[in-house]
Parts: sequence; structure tokens; C-alpha cells
Amino acid sequence: MAGVISGGGQWAYVVAAYALTALLTGAVLWHSWRAMVKAEKRSDALRRDRK
Amino acid sequence: MHAYANPTRFLAIAKPLTPWLLGLGLLLLLAGAFAGLAMVPGEAKQGETARILYVHVPSAWLGMGGWTSLAVAGLVQLVWRHPLSGIAARAIAVPGMLFTALCLATGSIWGKPTWGTWWEWDGRMTSMLVLLFLYAGFIALTTGDEGQRQGGSLSRGAAIYALVGAVNIPIINRSVVWWNSLHQGPSITLGGSSIDGSLLWPLGLTVLGFSLLFGAIVLMRMRRIIADNRVAARLRRLADDDEGY
Repeated sequence: MAGVISGGGQWAYVVAAYALTALLTGAVLWHSWRAMVKAEKRSDALRRDRK
Repeated sequence: MHAYANPTRFLAIAKPLTPWLLGLGLLLLLAGAFAGLAMVPGEAKQGETARILYVHVPSAWLGMGGWTSLAVAGLVQLVWRHPLSGIAARAIAVPGMLFTALCLATGSIWGKPTWGTWWEWDGRMTSMLVLLFLYAGFIALTTGDEGQRQGGSLSRGAAIYALVGAVNIPIINRSVVWWNSLHQGPSITLGGSSIDGSLLWPLGLTVLGFSLLFGAIVLMRMRRIIADNRVAARLRRLADDDEGY
């Protein structure tokens, strides 16, 4: 026995799990990177203006 | 520990560390995922679906580890008022919630072909769902509250919430032992692993890869909060100068 659903049908579940993980992790990673770069640029610009 | 309470000193370490954690994390993650998908054999009973292990277990580890770190940050904030602890707790919340949600989603996807159901209200799944709600509550509690306007520190209520929520972590861990569950019992313990070595090694890669990536995301979010705090402080000073003038 290889699970309730066997054979090639199992790969669809595997691909769905990996794709969801890649998509959500990538989205949070990209959002965190963008927000950090934007905030640090703003902070640096304000510091330069003050000088 | 207090030596790193200064955000400038912290940034001197965090800035060069972020790309290293990110690069190494992605590399290990890709290697582990490739090995899990293409190099290891299917499991004897579950077949190909057992490959979901390599994304499901790291997600569970980071969801629970994230809250543990968040509770430690809450404790440090309450006891020592370490300025970075509140910032760290805020930075951990979103990636922690993401990995908890991924754990639930990948577990559900794994459950359907294996157990014949997407969801079961048993101890493991329900306590993990409670963790997801705890993260959502913490994010709601710390977004735009008074503490954020005071350099990123947590309010006393948020820090206590983080500590109280940590009670759920041992419950999640022991749930498969305490209650009947469709979920399998602990496969990896301090005493060893019941998973065969030929299937286990890619898990080490993905757990380490996801952990480094989690660290990189937390550092990025901490750097963003510190930069926002600096901008807010400068704007306040400028406003004060204008009023004084």
C-alpha cells in the first residue's frame, strides 16, 4: 500500500506543497527585502539632508 | 548582551550577516529540496507523498521556534528592557506566522492522500491552529500601538501575551503522545530517529536552509524597524526645532 491515493496522483500533492511553500516564502522574503531597502534609503537620505 | 543593545552596534553585525544568511540559506534549501524531490526514494508505505516531509517539518520547527524566540524576546523586554528585544519580537511575528500557516497547509496537503482527509480536529492540528491565531493576535496587538512609537519596544501587555502564549509550545510538542491522533508520533527525538537515514539527510539540509532564511528575514525586518524609528526620531527632532525657532 502506498497511501490512500497511490501512483502518479501522489505527485500532484507533492508539487502543490512545494509550490505553496516556495510562493509564500518568496513573497515574505521579497516584501521584507523591499521594505528594508526602502526604509534604509529614506533614513540615509534624511541623514544626508541634515548634514 | 547589553553590549548589543545599541542599534548602531547591532547594525554593524546585522548588515554584513544578512546577505550571508540569505545566500547560504537559499543554497541549502535548494539543495535539500532537490534531494528530497529527485534523489531519495519514495517511502515504503506513503510513497511519493512522504517527500512533503522536507518542507512540512522545517515549517513546523520554525513556527514553534519562532514563538519560542518571541517569548524569550518578551521576557528580555520585561526584565532587562533591552531595546532590541521588542524590535526582534515584532520582526519574528510575521515569518513565524507564515511558517505556522505553511505547516498547517502542507500538513493538510499531505493528509489528504495519506489519511483520506484534509483536516482532523485532533490535538496536533488544533494546537498548531491555536499557534497561528496566537501569532495573528500578537501582530494585531503590536501593530501601531504605543510601543511602536517608542523606539519599537513592546508594551507590557504584548510582552506578557508572548510569554503566556509559549504555554502552547509544549502542548503542540506532546500532543501526539497525550491524545489519540491521525498524526504520527514523534519521529525525531533526542534519542534518535525512526526515519531511515536514506530519507533523513535532505531534511537536515532543508531545516538548516529554512532556519538561515528565517534568520535573514528577521534581520531584514529588524533593520527596517530600526530605519523607520530613526526616520521618525529625526522628523520629531526637526518638528521640535521648528517649534523652538
